[in-house]
Parts: sequence; C-alpha cells; structure tokens
Amino acid sequence: MQKRRFNLHTILEKRVLTDSTFVLRLEHNGLEFTAGQHIQVGPPNGIHTREYSIYSAPTDDFIEILVREIEDGVVTPALKKLEAGDSVVVNDAVGYFTIDKEVAEGKQFLFVASGTGISPFHSFVKAFPSLNYTLVHGIRFAEEAYERHHYEPSRYVACTSRDEKGDFHGRVTDWLTQNPLNNDTLCYLCGNCDMIHDVYDILEKQGVSSKNIFTEVYF
Amino acid sequence: MKVAFKTLGCRLNQYETDALAAQFSGNGYEVSEQEEGADVVVVNTCTVTNQSNQKSRYVISHAGRINPGAKMVITGCMAESHAEQLQKKFPEATVINNKGKSGIFHSVDSLIKTGNADLSDKDFDLFSYQSFTEMFHTRSLIKIQDGCDNFCTFCIIPFVRGRAISRPVEQVLQNIREVVAKGAREIVLTGVNISRYESDGVKFSGLVDKILNLEGDFRVRISSIEPDRFDDHFFTLIGHPKLAPHLHLCLQSGSERILLQMRRMYTVKDFMEIVDRVRAVDPKFNFTTDVIVGFPGETEEEFEETMAVARKVGFGHMHIFKYSVRQNTRAQRMADHIPDKVKTERSKRMHALAEELTANYRAPFDNTEQRILVEKWSDGVASGYNDYFVPMQFTSVNKKRNRFEVVQARVKDFEEA
Repeated sequence: MQKRRFNLHTILEKRVLTDSTFVLRLEHNGLEFTAGQHIQVGPPNGIHTREYSIYSAPTDDFIEILVREIEDGVVTPALKKLEAGDSVVVNDAVGYFTIDKEVAEGKQFLFVASGTGISPFHSFVKAFPSLNYTLVHGIRFAEEAYERHHYEPSRYVACTSRDEKGDFHGRVTDWLTQNPLNNDTLCYLCGNCDMIHDVYDILEKQGVSSKNIFTEVYF
Repeated sequence: MKVAFKTLGCRLNQYETDALAAQFSGNGYEVSEQEEGADVVVVNTCTVTNQSNQKSRYVISHAGRINPGAKMVITGCMAESHAEQLQKKFPEATVINNKGKSGIFHSVDSLIKTGNADLSDKDFDLFSYQSFTEMFHTRSLIKIQDGCDNFCTFCIIPFVRGRAISRPVEQVLQNIREVVAKGAREIVLTGVNISRYESDGVKFSGLVDKILNLEGDFRVRISSIEPDRFDDHFFTLIGHPKLAPHLHLCLQSGSERILLQMRRMYTVKDFMEIVDRVRAVDPKFNFTTDVIVGFPGETEEEFEETMAVARKVGFGHMHIFKYSVRQNTRAQRMADHIPDKVKTERSKRMHALAEELTANYRAPFDNTEQRILVEKWSDGVASGYNDYFVPMQFTSVNKKRNRFEVVQARVKDFEEA
C-alpha cells in the first residue's frame, strides 16, 4: 500500500475540444479520489508521466482528464495520438486542493482558473451540485472556454485576452479588480504561477485572508 | 556477532537505524556505529540531494574497504531510487528498499545463519519498529508518520518514501509510554511530513496534546515540520512545560514566487504569522529551518528576499542546501537552472548570515541557568541541549547521561558575535 503503484487504464473515449485540447475518458478501475486531487498519467510504453487534476467527479463511473498538447512535449503528443481502446498508466490520486464536505454548503466560493486549470473546478461543480460559486476562467480565445455548458451561465465568466468573444475582455486580474468580492469568500486558484501570484495579491488587497485562499500551480 | 550501522540523512533514518540496532541488541548481537570488526555493515542511505547520493556511495565503499570480509546490507532512500545501480556497483551487497527496512533484522539474521538473506515478500509495516531508548542517541526518536503527498517540485522524497500514512494514535502513545518507562527524557516526533499527521480523526496538534498529557518527566521536541497545516489548537500548546520551545520550520525560500514554483503550500506571510504567533507567547522561542538556494529561476532579488526573512526571524540554525536536480521531479524540467558558481556563491553568503544569526540567537543563553538534558560527559564537562535546543556545557563530576540538570551553563563553543 505504501509504494506508488501505476495501473493501466483503458481509454473509453477521447473528446476533442480544440486543435490542441482534448478530454481523455478512462475506465475507473477503482481509483479512489477526492474532487480537486491529481494523478500522474503517461503513455503505456514510456517512462514519462505528467500530472493532471482529475476533470470528472468521484461519483462518475469513469475518470476524465483535460489535456492540452505541448508541441515539443514528451508526454502530451503521445497522449494525443492515443484512441479509445488504448491504455494509459495512472498512479494514485494525491493532493490537498480539495473542499471539505462540511464547508461546501452555505459558503461562497470563487474559482479562478487559467487555461486547463479549470479541471479541478469542473470536478468540484460535478461533485457538489448545490455549490454557490463563481468561476472566472482566463483564456486567450473564447473557443478555449472548455465545455462551458457544464456550468450555470450566470456562474461562469470567460475572460478572453486575445478576442472579445468571451464574457469579459481582459485578464482575470482585470475582472477581479472590477468585481471586488466579500472577504469571507473561499478562493481557489488553479493555473500558471504568474496568474496565481497576481490574483493572490489582488485578493489580499480586497481583504481576503490567506487562510481562505487555496492554490494549485500548473506548469 | 557484531553489526555496524552507518546512517545518512534525516531524523527518520536515525530513528529507523536506532530501532533496528535495538532489535539486534535485544537478540544478542553486538551493535556499533564503527565498521571495524563487524560481521555485517548496514548502511541506511539518503538520496535527498546529489551530495547525499555521493556520501551514501562513499560510506558504502569506505566500509567495504575497511572491512572487506563483512556482509554489506544497503537500505534507505537511495536503495529505493537507485537499487539497480547500487546492486551493480556492489554485487555482493544485499539491497533492501524502504518497505523492507523494518524487516532487516530477519533478513540479516537469516543471512548470518543460512548464508542467504530472507527477502521474501513479507509485507513489513512501516511502523513495525520496536520501542527503544538510548541506542545511538540520547533523545528518543518516535516515528509518527511516513511518506508525503505534497510533491514539491524539487523533492524526490514522495517517490522513495511513498504515500503519506500516519501511525495510529494509540500505537504512538504506547510507544512513548514504553520509552518513558525505560527512562527516556526527551521524545522527538519524527516523520516525513508530520504536519499532515491524521489518524482516527486526530490531527497533528491533537496528537501532540495527547502526548503532552502523558505522565512522566520528559520533554517533547517536534522535529522538522512544514508550515502548511497549523491550526489554532496548535498555538494553545505553545508554552506547555513539556513542549520544547523549538521548531524546525522549513522555509525553503523567502520569495513568494519561488515558493509557488516549488509548489510549497504556504506563503512567506503564512510563515511569518506562525513565527509571530508563537513568539507572542515565548519571545525566545527557537526557530531553525531548511533553505534551498539557487532554485531554477531564482533571481538575485529573490535570494535577497530569503536573506531578509532569515534576518527577520533570527533563525537559531539553518540547514542550507544548494538546489540539486532530482530525477523525474518537476523542477528538473524547469527553465533557467542556476549555474553552480552562482549557487555556490549564494550558499556562502547564506552560510555567513546563518552563522551570524546562530551566534546572535545563542548569546543571551550564555552563562545563564538552563535545564539541560545531559548527553555527553568528558573530562569533567557535561554537555547537552537546553529546552530551546541550544548546545550547552557545564563542569560536573556526575558522569551520568540522560538526566536533566538545571544549572548555570555556557553555550557550547560559544564565541561572541
């Protein structure tokens, strides 16, 4: 039980979202996890894996991850070539970017994501259907608003920096500056380091205690 | 039959070596930390940095040169991460991973009695080490947890120690009752990531509270701890007469950006808040720490931020590591690795600051009355650590070790800053 163990999971389906982004649906294989945790995934015949926050909910009878291809990458181009019926290696779920069941009810949540950093929030929203949240998603183009129909329209804000087809033209930092929040909001930030760094500063200036800010860095 | 133990790395390794040595001793073996004359040499390795690997290899080779006839057993984190390489380099050695470490007595016992190490698939418990006191250390190390799920981007430990697991509360308490009954005066709580302790609904602060309420004349020291899960309950324990006023609180960097890149789960502000809350109760409270210099992308300004935090806290001691690449960690793939020359230069500056801060912290304790746990006696001088983990010494005719003495004492090897 102590040593990390990799298991083979068959791919059930691949959903292509954009030219570079896709969702891999994997067989569940009894993988236990809490919404917000991440796994390491890699092609079956290689030694390399990458970390992915789980996109699906613990109650789903499958596991999903949201993958963006890195052109010169070692793992993602190989994952992109895989199809339903192929396998990937997956290790145990780990991580502390989670929501306590007890606090999920009755609290206001702010989720701030950049790019595929939306994954854990997708899992949260599926895992806690009555969650009172606002999801602010930083992307370049509106087409990167991955599966936005999974979220209540009034709760999802696509902040597009390179086109004006989103809900807000600008960066998530601009949106947050223009939309200050209650300082007892629980704030979850997931995405690149610079976004988290800048958003953290804004939230603290708005009076949010660091105890109420949770981060998951994507690289 | 004599078994020698060579130990590298962390307190957890020290605990595991002490426990194994106690098991051998209890079964009639002579145990030692010197390899001369030993029939078996057990090397408990470390792999946390490149230097740890080099040291581990050196210790194995050196032991083999000094005592070529001894059977060699290699265990620990390097045996986990570099098993094949070690086996290839030392073909006569028996390599045992961390999972099998607690079963080393059975392996070696069968090695001696039958010529073959029993390496069957026995599922040894990570906590199935026996209770002991006064083996190679006066302080009684108690393992409360193993493994880590934090996956800091620089760190190989989750890959070699496995998933986080906590020892059941009652097992910990029973272990402490036993060592206290055997005379232990200082309990040191050890593990890979003890702030994440959680068992039977009891978190770290709850466990410490229960330990402090055990009967006996002992003090509790918390060893290395991450600053990412301190609850209000913990702060209520500060000032408890049995809790040593010292934390080895791992900072790693004083730059918020670097902490994010390291995927540490706290901010500099969080770190300082812990320091301030604790020092509000006890202004002399000793904070020691670990710092990494030259993490990929660390700028001169970010390095200076770490220096500034160190000055602000006034650390009593600092372990300073030059960043070294660990295979398959996220930081290995990061851009802007810092040239070794720059890392060395920053390390020197940090060491100079650390020396200054240590001297500053210790100065007020010199020539004052302190409670000291005597660990050594030599030529009429007894020495050991006070409650604040400051090394002290005093003249004494009493040669007895492992005793508390409240006495006017000097800071050991003290020189005015």
